[in-house]
Amino acid sequence: MTQTPADPVLHSGRDRQALTTSNRTESLGRPEPPGPPRGRRRAGVAWLFLLPGVALFAVFVLGPMIYSFRISLYDWNLVTPDRSEWLGFANYARALGDPTFQRAVVNTIAYTAVTVPAQMILGTALAVLLNKAIRGRAVYRVLYYLPVVTPWVIVALLFKFLFVGQGGFVNHILRNVLGVVDHDILWLADPLLIFAPIMALGIWKGLGWTAVIVLAGLQIIPAELEDAAKVDGAGPWQRFRFVTLPLLRPTLVFLFVVLVVGGLNAYVSNLLITDGGQPFGQTHFVLTLMYQETFTRLDFGYGAAISYLLTALVFMISVVQLRLLRRRVDL
Amino acid sequence: MRQRNQTVWRLAALATALVLTLGACDSTAGDATSTTGAVEVTTTTATQPADETTTTEETPVEEATVTYWHTMSEPEAAQLDAVIAAFEGANPGITVEPTRYAYDDFKAALTTSIAGGEGPDTARLDIIWVPEFAELGALLPLDGELASFDETASSVFPGPLATNLWDGSYYGLPQNTNTQVLLWNRDMFEAAGITEPPATLEEFATTACALSDSDAGTYGYGMGGTYFWAPAPIFYSSGGAVVDEGITTATGYVNGPESVAAFELLTGLYNDGCLSPSILGGGVGTAEGHATGAYATIIDGPWMVDIYRNDFPDFEVNFAPIPAEPDGTTSSVVGGENVVVFADTDQKDAALAWTEFLLSEESQRLLAEVGVVPTLSGLAGDPALPEYFEVFMAQLETAQARVPHPRWGDMDTAINEAFQRMLQGTQTPQEALDQAAEEINALLQ
Repeated sequence: MTQTPADPVLHSGRDRQALTTSNRTESLGRPEPPGPPRGRRRAGVAWLFLLPGVALFAVFVLGPMIYSFRISLYDWNLVTPDRSEWLGFANYARALGDPTFQRAVVNTIAYTAVTVPAQMILGTALAVLLNKAIRGRAVYRVLYYLPVVTPWVIVALLFKFLFVGQGGFVNHILRNVLGVVDHDILWLADPLLIFAPIMALGIWKGLGWTAVIVLAGLQIIPAELEDAAKVDGAGPWQRFRFVTLPLLRPTLVFLFVVLVVGGLNAYVSNLLITDGGQPFGQTHFVLTLMYQETFTRLDFGYGAAISYLLTALVFMISVVQLRLLRRRVDL
Repeated sequence: MRQRNQTVWRLAALATALVLTLGACDSTAGDATSTTGAVEVTTTTATQPADETTTTEETPVEEATVTYWHTMSEPEAAQLDAVIAAFEGANPGITVEPTRYAYDDFKAALTTSIAGGEGPDTARLDIIWVPEFAELGALLPLDGELASFDETASSVFPGPLATNLWDGSYYGLPQNTNTQVLLWNRDMFEAAGITEPPATLEEFATTACALSDSDAGTYGYGMGGTYFWAPAPIFYSSGGAVVDEGITTATGYVNGPESVAAFELLTGLYNDGCLSPSILGGGVGTAEGHATGAYATIIDGPWMVDIYRNDFPDFEVNFAPIPAEPDGTTSSVVGGENVVVFADTDQKDAALAWTEFLLSEESQRLLAEVGVVPTLSGLAGDPALPEYFEVFMAQLETAQARVPHPRWGDMDTAINEAFQRMLQGTQTPQEALDQAAEEINALLQ
């Protein structure tokens, strides 16, 4: 068998070689072998490898998403979908005009606005401390990570219990130890105060993970840079502010994106602490409201519309964040 | 489901983090993250059905398998096996497959499985859900399908039976019933020199205050919350009503003088420190509070016997009828479950046979052994039943059913929120219930 440049076997063999060797080979001006364009062939192979993932995505994510969008356009009849009443975008209009939904959006954004910066600031501070050569560093790292791996359900009920109005731990501290209040505060009966346990839980539980990510970011910052700054007479704060922080930027931007999406999707803690919007339906997150409308009140069309509105909100915020991500930092 | 999603998402995030921190800061990484996040939102609804356990139905011609979903307690579920064995012995060829759910998950499990065409053949539903599922078209009207319906219907208590009626048809049969009565802590009563539980609502109020000492953390009366089931016994005992008999209006009913008086009584007890503050902000639970001497009285159901037997074996449980108005004709609240057959069952005959059996004396007696109050009126006063059933059976004679309406859940919320507003002092009971009446009227249209 003569090996001509057109031989597909040889061609693909070269192709593979080209992939493994550096791009410099290309720039040396090796003649392009005739045959199908390499780009398309490569794409074909790539698609083949992607197929299982794409198929799973299509069947279990895309399909249900489209079906759920269809549901959102109807007064959906659960038992006999054929008899569902077409509403167009009336479910969406209803949600946008519904004070409970508006309040849920405000609550969700407020939760994200409080817990994300808190996790990032405290997590970074923690990571900086854990990055120092302190005795028992590994133990601290484990301790701070423990809340991350505890089940949401258990810690949500625990936080709720800490904040109960009668005989709760927080009231005990405020009233008997610190003496700053003279009566028990009904945290769980107040539509605003009830967010204290919800937000505290979100921060407490996310802190360890945030710290681990920042720690990973800190460890790839070359020590020479900080040493050089030290030689130049920079103090600890200046070194953090002008050396560490700029180099942490990619890590922090990544954290910001991920934590915001997580915050907007918060669900379990709120559901368990507010029992689904208590008191007065004023304490919902978008997801808990969606769950209640869908599975408690059996209004599947309205629930689906709410889920799409949340998707739109997350999407818009993500687009803004992507712009933030584009700026690079070179080490 | 969600936890798993989150784990996958976290793993993906960690991988992305690695890529990013290694300096390969590429905008596609951000792309991947935000897509995952956005997708997760919609999949929470969409993929729910896949999560449900479904029983496969292998049906050779002469054999039939009937699925039966319920929310029984552990001892009840164990006794159910005996009921099923008795049924299968009497009906060779039919197999019953029970599935047990937690009460809080049950509605979501049912709706998603019905939507996916994987619903059960039969189920035991909370009585307040029957009109809602009937309205959806998910249930078979039993009065048209069951040959023996009239006979069975005449053998059960009328109150529980009425909870199956929606739009002119009966969509279920009362499988078991219950109501709430007064539980009184004899030690606390005797320490205060009181020997008898209160018989009238006025006595109830004075006793509750006599047994309260908020500095010591003890209260004459403890309530689990503001949801309607909690104040309902006092509400109905005062002669209160949510709507008229034809379910057309709440005006003059939920805000009528008797209803307002009931909530004035409760709000007064709360303001005077005779009703535990846990009703609003959470705190000591009613069951443990009652057993440990924090709450002299609570109002609860027959299952408390079993709960105390497990959690506080030394505690002496004392039941008494709900305190009443001297000339009262209504009292307490009917609870319980109905057995229903789903419209899309492909085992109709077997499912109906199983439903009939659940209403038989044999089945009702078996479940009564573990504290389930039977619905067959012929069993009232039966010496084989537990002794403490007597007070519940007597209370059931005047106990009231909540409004049998598909929107009952929203009506419950309206009254619940009204109750919270009066306890927080932002409205008087009259004002709060006037508002609730308007909200309920809107639901009735």
